[in-house]
Amino acid sequence: MMNQATNTQTLASLDQNSIENQYVVNASQGQTSLYVPSTTGSEAASWNMSRVDNHSAENGSFLNSTYHHVQHTELSTRTVQDGSNAASLATSLSLGTTNAQSDYSSYNSYSNSSDPYSYGSTGYQGYYNGYLQQSNPTYSQPVGAYQNTGAPYQPLSSFQNTGSYAGPASYSSTYYNPGDYQTAGGYPNSSYTHQTTTWNEGNYANYTTHQYSNYTPDTSGAYAAGNAATNSLHYQQHYKQWADYYNQTEVSCAPGTENLSVASTSTQLSQVSQVPSVSGGYPTSNSQAPPSFTSSWRPESSSSQMPSLQEQKKTACPQAPNLQYPAAQQAPQNYQPPLQTVQSSDTRRVSKLQIQTNPRIASNLPLGLPKLDKDGPNNSAVAKPAYISVSLPKPSEKVLPNDAADSVLKAGVFPKSLKSYVERVLAQCKDEKQMAACQEVMKEVITKATNDGTLHTRDWDAESLFPIPKTDMADKNNLQNPTPVSLFPKYKKSPTRRSKSRWEPLLEEKSVDKLGSVNNYAAKYSSWVHVNEKDRKPTGASSEGKTDVMNNIRFPLMEQKSASKTVQRQVKRQRLADVNAADNGDASSDSDKEQNLTAYYSSAIALANNPEERKRRESRSKRFEKMQGNRAEINQFKAKNAGTENLYARRASALVLSKSFEDGGSKAVEDIDWDALTVKGTCQEIEKRYLRLTSAPDPSTVRPEEVLEKALFMVQNSQKNYLYKCDQLKSIRQDLTVQRIRNQLTVKVYETHARLTLEVGDLPEYNQCQSQLKILYAEGIEGCHMEFAAYNLLCVIMHSNNNRDLLSSMSRLSDEAKKDKAVQHALAVRVAVTSGNYVMFFRLYKTAPNLSACLMDLYVEKMRYKAVSCMSRSYRPQVPVLYIAQVLGFSSSIPTNGGSDEKDSEGLEDCVDWLKSHGACLIADSNGEMQLDTKASSSSLYMPEPEDAVAHGDASLAVNDFLTRTS
Amino acid sequence: MGEAHRRITDYLNKFSDAVSYQDVASLAQLFSFSSNSPSLLSLADALNYFQDANRLIKQSDKFSQFGEILAPIFRSLQSYRLGNLVDSYHAFEKFANAFIQEFRNWESAWALEALYVIAYEIRVLAERADRELASNGKSPEKLKGAGSFLMKVFGVLAGKGPKRVGALYVTCQLFKIYFKLGTVHLCRSVIRSIETARIFDFEEFPRRDKVTYMYYTGRLEVFNENFPAAEHKLSYALTHCNPLREANIRMILKYLIPVKLSLGILPKAWLLEKYNLLEYSNVVQALKRGDLRLLRHALQEHEDQFLRSGVYLVLEKLELQVYQRLVKKIYFIQKQKDPSKAHQLKLDVIVKALKWLEMDMDLDEVECIMTILIYKNLVKGYFAHKSKVVVLSKQDPFPKLNGKPVNS
Repeated sequence: MMNQATNTQTLASLDQNSIENQYVVNASQGQTSLYVPSTTGSEAASWNMSRVDNHSAENGSFLNSTYHHVQHTELSTRTVQDGSNAASLATSLSLGTTNAQSDYSSYNSYSNSSDPYSYGSTGYQGYYNGYLQQSNPTYSQPVGAYQNTGAPYQPLSSFQNTGSYAGPASYSSTYYNPGDYQTAGGYPNSSYTHQTTTWNEGNYANYTTHQYSNYTPDTSGAYAAGNAATNSLHYQQHYKQWADYYNQTEVSCAPGTENLSVASTSTQLSQVSQVPSVSGGYPTSNSQAPPSFTSSWRPESSSSQMPSLQEQKKTACPQAPNLQYPAAQQAPQNYQPPLQTVQSSDTRRVSKLQIQTNPRIASNLPLGLPKLDKDGPNNSAVAKPAYISVSLPKPSEKVLPNDAADSVLKAGVFPKSLKSYVERVLAQCKDEKQMAACQEVMKEVITKATNDGTLHTRDWDAESLFPIPKTDMADKNNLQNPTPVSLFPKYKKSPTRRSKSRWEPLLEEKSVDKLGSVNNYAAKYSSWVHVNEKDRKPTGASSEGKTDVMNNIRFPLMEQKSASKTVQRQVKRQRLADVNAADNGDASSDSDKEQNLTAYYSSAIALANNPEERKRRESRSKRFEKMQGNRAEINQFKAKNAGTENLYARRASALVLSKSFEDGGSKAVEDIDWDALTVKGTCQEIEKRYLRLTSAPDPSTVRPEEVLEKALFMVQNSQKNYLYKCDQLKSIRQDLTVQRIRNQLTVKVYETHARLTLEVGDLPEYNQCQSQLKILYAEGIEGCHMEFAAYNLLCVIMHSNNNRDLLSSMSRLSDEAKKDKAVQHALAVRVAVTSGNYVMFFRLYKTAPNLSACLMDLYVEKMRYKAVSCMSRSYRPQVPVLYIAQVLGFSSSIPTNGGSDEKDSEGLEDCVDWLKSHGACLIADSNGEMQLDTKASSSSLYMPEPEDAVAHGDASLAVNDFLTRTS
Repeated sequence: MGEAHRRITDYLNKFSDAVSYQDVASLAQLFSFSSNSPSLLSLADALNYFQDANRLIKQSDKFSQFGEILAPIFRSLQSYRLGNLVDSYHAFEKFANAFIQEFRNWESAWALEALYVIAYEIRVLAERADRELASNGKSPEKLKGAGSFLMKVFGVLAGKGPKRVGALYVTCQLFKIYFKLGTVHLCRSVIRSIETARIFDFEEFPRRDKVTYMYYTGRLEVFNENFPAAEHKLSYALTHCNPLREANIRMILKYLIPVKLSLGILPKAWLLEKYNLLEYSNVVQALKRGDLRLLRHALQEHEDQFLRSGVYLVLEKLELQVYQRLVKKIYFIQKQKDPSKAHQLKLDVIVKALKWLEMDMDLDEVECIMTILIYKNLVKGYFAHKSKVVVLSKQDPFPKLNGKPVNS
């Protein structure tokens, strides 16, 4: 940033440098640019835009002679743009839209003003295949922004369209008047004209500042864009800012404006309007540009007043390039021939690779480029990295063989699979160096593919990820072109497993793309015809004939330096951008988050209504069907393993789905394919510890039904304690659940567990089982329905203390149920409880069927206490403890005629203990029999809190604090 | 065609006139589906015939400003006429929402009456839609939706200002929904906001709403077995209820009678006859006679009914009073025989008496019941375990409840 700042004020020199650098870059790409039109897809278009701007500015200021073409090119490109905008705007836009994966029906309306944007956005989408869902939402958002800020936009469009024509003149005049300033001013203008002009409305002072602020942001923005890995969130964020930006537009642009806002905007711009990518390249060059250039520069600038030049050149240049262009366009897939011809024509030899790559990047620049190419392999080589880092991801990916035209408006023409491939590759990279290296390699790969014409035909999803080039290698690559080439073969298709990008139907899109490209092509072509032919020829001529000695000589060094630096810079910036993105994505301020959220939701809403999305969903579900079909087949024919593998895949995809579902709560639940989430276990272990799942179950640790049956049997016959059994049963339940097994085994497991819990009085666990059982029974699965109905009733009676619940569960009992012994017992218990009839209660307690006694156990304490307090109130003077022991169920036998004394005495002792612990007054009568002194007891009774009671109800977790006082 | 057209425009005119003149009576009429008024029915036919009512709405500013309200109600009416109640409900809810929006904007509460109609209609429509859904095997959820809509309406009304008068009506509709859905616990928040509001005296609400409100809150108290409060609320409802509305009186009595019974207050036979509450007559008889068997039979006979209305448990608790009556009778008989020993009741005697009633209970059980009676203060005295004798207090051995609940 500093550099830039200095640049602006230092003016010409810096600018020149930067310009030159860029130029070099451009130049190297220049040839390609010619092709580009044909080749470049949507991104090419974006490039055009940016380039054009740059060039125009540059041309104006710097290299008159050399850059005449450039300007021409600009003009041409602009014209192209214009033409496409004006004439084919609708078509191109619509095409872009179609190209873009999501539908941009909304876009159509915007077409004129928002073209550039739609572009960027489309490019976006294309780029982030993986993020499609998210990207879609983001899209809609931007659209909204557009609508709102229609006014600011229009300037942009107008600028692009008309700017090239009328603009130059005005520029030049303003530019050059200031003198040194001019350069700076011109600079910004050219590159940022869109922004500056639109926003500032002609303040040059503003421009400079703008530029700077803009620049950095731009680059970063471009970087971010370049990094496949960047979060979609990030994007959203950008969009948000974008919207904000527009609202503020002019204010934010003011010279004083903080970098941040500008930066954000610029990044946004870059992303959206694609201009940024160019600018990104720009700034880097600027910062490093040596002052020496200034001198040379000025002259150029002065001489390079575009308008006049353009016209002249147009008229003047009747050369070969035209021929080449048409050819390229018409036979878009044969890149190389034209390229090579161009190259050959160019004295400087730029390695093919470079050229090819460059073209994509610089695609639109064509005219100026030829000359620049001459600058030398070094330049181009050096330049490449810079470009790559900046623009690589988008442009490289998007280069389309088909597209002859570089119309500004093209949407991402790259196959999505390719984009996702690039993403995958970039995701591998651990650091920036690797990233850069990868980008390099990828460029190679893609270029190759493009040249082969296999770009669209190749299965990118199946493409193997090449090993990450070592960083030093990458560095070398930066310097030397050949290396990548040599590397390239390695990466060449080595199909691996196909992890198909799940997001979009590929086929449809391809066809759409082609259509789009064709249309674009036509549009462009027409525009080309008048402008290009004239313009380009001159470039060719000038480049060949004139190539600036100065440039040549100086540039190499300069550019090498600058380029390498730029690389580093960019890397840094990338990092920054990434960090920013990350921040924006999660950590950063709440308001950001909120913004994101709101943006996200609104976009999500749009998404929901999005026909494209619907289509995608359909196709998604279809895919699952297919996969299931596959799986079935495989299961039939092949070993289990195959099936499981497939399962994995399915599950993975479903998981992603579910995850994305979690991410955005607004997504429809039906997006989750639960069938796909269901696993089929392969674990043969009978024993398994319960562990609450925090992630998707792994089939290798899940037991299939047969094993579960054995496990259940094992648990039932286990001698170990409840904790062990409970643990085992829970793991069985879990395995059943994840496999979605709901049959008699399930019921059996739950019943077993429920009984087990009853035996130990683990009510919370019991309730879980009970509620599951209720559902299972309701599904008609057979089990001990009545038994558990009785348990349920008992539970409600004694533990819920809710009359309404009791009433409803009573009224729900069927007549048949009422005849059931267990249910009758439960109902009798209810009567006993509600009436406080302890005698009846304890009789029922002793005759309880099944495990009802266990449930009643939990109420015994209460009942006894009630009973004793009742007794101590009602009986006078005393009650024999023996009687109490009998009535309150302390003795195990029903009181008969003094049958078993031992048992009674046993019960008696218990009873005495119990009474004492509850504060009862016991006295011995004359016979030595223990009596309850009722009168004394009636006021001294209390309910001790149970010793093992714990606040959270789990005795095993008891802490001393929870222990209550005891007698 | 012309006729259909005329009917629709007629409706539209009525609507816009009613709104502009704030004529709530005619406005309310326009919404009252369940009235099945011929004009609405013919309008529905016209809509189904004409099919393009929206064009008519858009045709004039007078109507189009209410397009949000009118378009859905037309759709709702159409579906209603065609018997497609679920669709009708959906459209009606949309209409109601739009109307609420509009209502919010009206300063005065002139349209309350119309809002009442909407609140009523949406509930009834939701119930019917649920029935339709249930018959199609789908989960009925419209009533729940209507509940949340009415909650919104309540929010609109419950604040300060003239519209608060309408809050109680909506509350009552909400009660109806919640009771029907069995989600009674949801009532609590509404009740709190009604009862804690200091700025608006309860008595200022319309009488019919007050009665309804008291009826439902009384029922809630019955569930909670808070009998004094239940008695208070239900009695309020009964005394303020329009005496000509016998159905309403019967509904109140259905709960008030058990409540009063549990407080020891028995109804006259004519009351049960007049309001056709004969299911209680045996219970009352049992209480009078101390006939445990009769009580149990009565409970068994009407078990379903009592369970559904939620008074089963209340009635079941009357058993203790029946025991008390029985013991009292034995006491009187003994007193006639031998006044000096009358206050000592042998357990055997009681067991025998129960045997006559075909109640097979052994000594322990009866002893238990006697202790409970003493414990609950239904019998004054004590039980001597050794001699198995209930010793009654000489003074007022069988205290009357006199409107106080049995000790629990």
